[in-house]
Amino acid sequence: MTALPVLPNSRRRGPRHRRQLLPTILLTVISLFTVGPLLAMAVLALSPADAPTLPDALPHSLTLDNITRVFDVGNFPTWLLNSLVYSVVSVVVILLTASMAAYALVRKRFPGRNALLWAIVATLMVPVQATLIPTFILISRMGGVNTLWGLIAPSLANAQAVFLIRQFVRDLPDEIFDAARVDGAGEWRTFVQIVLPLIRPVLATLAIFIFLWHWNDLLWPLVVGQTDHARTLTVGLATLNTETESTANIMSAAFISLLPCLVVFVALQRHIVASITSSGVKG
Amino acid sequence: MPVHAPPRTLPAGRVPPHPAAGNRPGAHLARRRRREAATGILFVLPTLVIFGLFKFLPIAGAAAMSMTRYRLNGDMTWLGTQNYQRLWHDPAFWQSLKATAVYVGIFVPLTMAVSLAGAVLLNSLVRRTGTFRALLFVPYLCSFVMAGIIWSWMFRSDGPVNAALGGLGAGPIAFLSGDHLLVLGCLALVSVWKGFGYSMLVFLAGLKSQPAEVHEAARIDGANSLQAFWHITLPLLKPVLFFVLVIETIIGFQVFDTIFVMTGGGPDRASYSLIYFLYDEAFKFLDFGYAAAIGMVLFAIVLVLSLIQRYFIEGRDHT
Repeated sequence: MTALPVLPNSRRRGPRHRRQLLPTILLTVISLFTVGPLLAMAVLALSPADAPTLPDALPHSLTLDNITRVFDVGNFPTWLLNSLVYSVVSVVVILLTASMAAYALVRKRFPGRNALLWAIVATLMVPVQATLIPTFILISRMGGVNTLWGLIAPSLANAQAVFLIRQFVRDLPDEIFDAARVDGAGEWRTFVQIVLPLIRPVLATLAIFIFLWHWNDLLWPLVVGQTDHARTLTVGLATLNTETESTANIMSAAFISLLPCLVVFVALQRHIVASITSSGVKG
Repeated sequence: MPVHAPPRTLPAGRVPPHPAAGNRPGAHLARRRRREAATGILFVLPTLVIFGLFKFLPIAGAAAMSMTRYRLNGDMTWLGTQNYQRLWHDPAFWQSLKATAVYVGIFVPLTMAVSLAGAVLLNSLVRRTGTFRALLFVPYLCSFVMAGIIWSWMFRSDGPVNAALGGLGAGPIAFLSGDHLLVLGCLALVSVWKGFGYSMLVFLAGLKSQPAEVHEAARIDGANSLQAFWHITLPLLKPVLFFVLVIETIIGFQVFDTIFVMTGGGPDRASYSLIYFLYDEAFKFLDFGYAAAIGMVLFAIVLVLSLIQRYFIEGRDHT
């Protein structure tokens, strides 16, 4: 064996290591800025009710009392359920309808195809707040105020999903579809068994973002859910904060509402980073 | 069409064309086209219905409704441009525009600076990149409401920020109820905290795509890292900087959630943003037509910003 290139390597490692020191320190400082408040929230949520706690002192022990007590505050379990239904149903319906539309818009020729695509993409330029009032009037006329379907229905029109999925379907090679036809697969089978599995990466990415957007949404749920039992967790949190609720309860509620997002993030971090860095999904 | 066209051989397994279609060569193709169109429309139908009801209709409705006096019980009076004239003379509207503009003026440069710094630092790091990236990105998972809740506690008179100031011998500062510029600054800071992770990742992607040879050449030419950053990294990053600038400005103009949670538009309407104004007019004063007109103003602002972006970015690398 030849000698390992120990010397040049170690010579290079010295200065490069020193160059790492400053970025590491600065990044640690920014990390304290980002994570510090979240840690404080967690500590407040887990502190015993009567013991001295932040910002005066660190609690002597941690407890889950606040977390369990929060479920008795307001209609907390209902809020949680509403948020879950709002987010999960939206993810499923948007991904299904948007994939179907994207598939048709790319692979099928039909009258009005280009006009429809253009119209869908054009809606990206209209902020949701600009159409808040007519949407509310519409839902209220349809009897959807304070209902789950009234909450969910308007958010199902997601132009970003159609647009992004379309770009993925467009890149699928023609041969796959020819092969499917030769094998005698019908349109629906081709879509479910060939298209959907092939575009799984973009579906996973969109699932994360749609979940986050809906879970964290305030304005529409606030407007359409006017009674306590029709609120989502975000709206519930916002109203808890303006009412005279204890810090421990508010922080516990906020802590619980962050958990699903943390789980989603930890599980699918790669997808999130890849999608932002490649296409720019924005909520 | 030739009368004695040779009979076409049909592909195996295919239903022969309807007798009425005769042996015209185009008949089979036309049938296939029709089937294709039918499938396409069927697949697009759910989206068409959803978008028709909840996007196209409200967009048309917003423009029309902004020209009316509209009450929830359905009473509607055509006003023409009166709502817009009223906006022009409404001090609350100008206050909301001013508050939003000042907020955007603080928020956008701050978020650009922090996310660019984060991206440059992450890019220069060799190890633990993933860990730091996650730590810096994690507030992005929060809602603006949650960010508002945490930071209103941070900024409380007996909160940690004032506790730290007290430790330094400075008096407690009324962050959210005192000086108007300070209030907007605090709100901007909360939004930076919540959202900069996204722009940071966009910048990071931009940095990673820069050709290493250019930076190598600069180093050989004796440029220090500050010079290299200023004369090479930044100019190469210009399209990305512009993209983030426009996106964050649009986001800034839509500020509502943190204000709703932290200040309620106060003190003295210091943080009375455009959307807060819209929300008040619609759901406090039930003046839906007027609120729709405010919505159209926001639309106009966002449209101009989007068109600028389209012109400068998407026009260049359109595929």
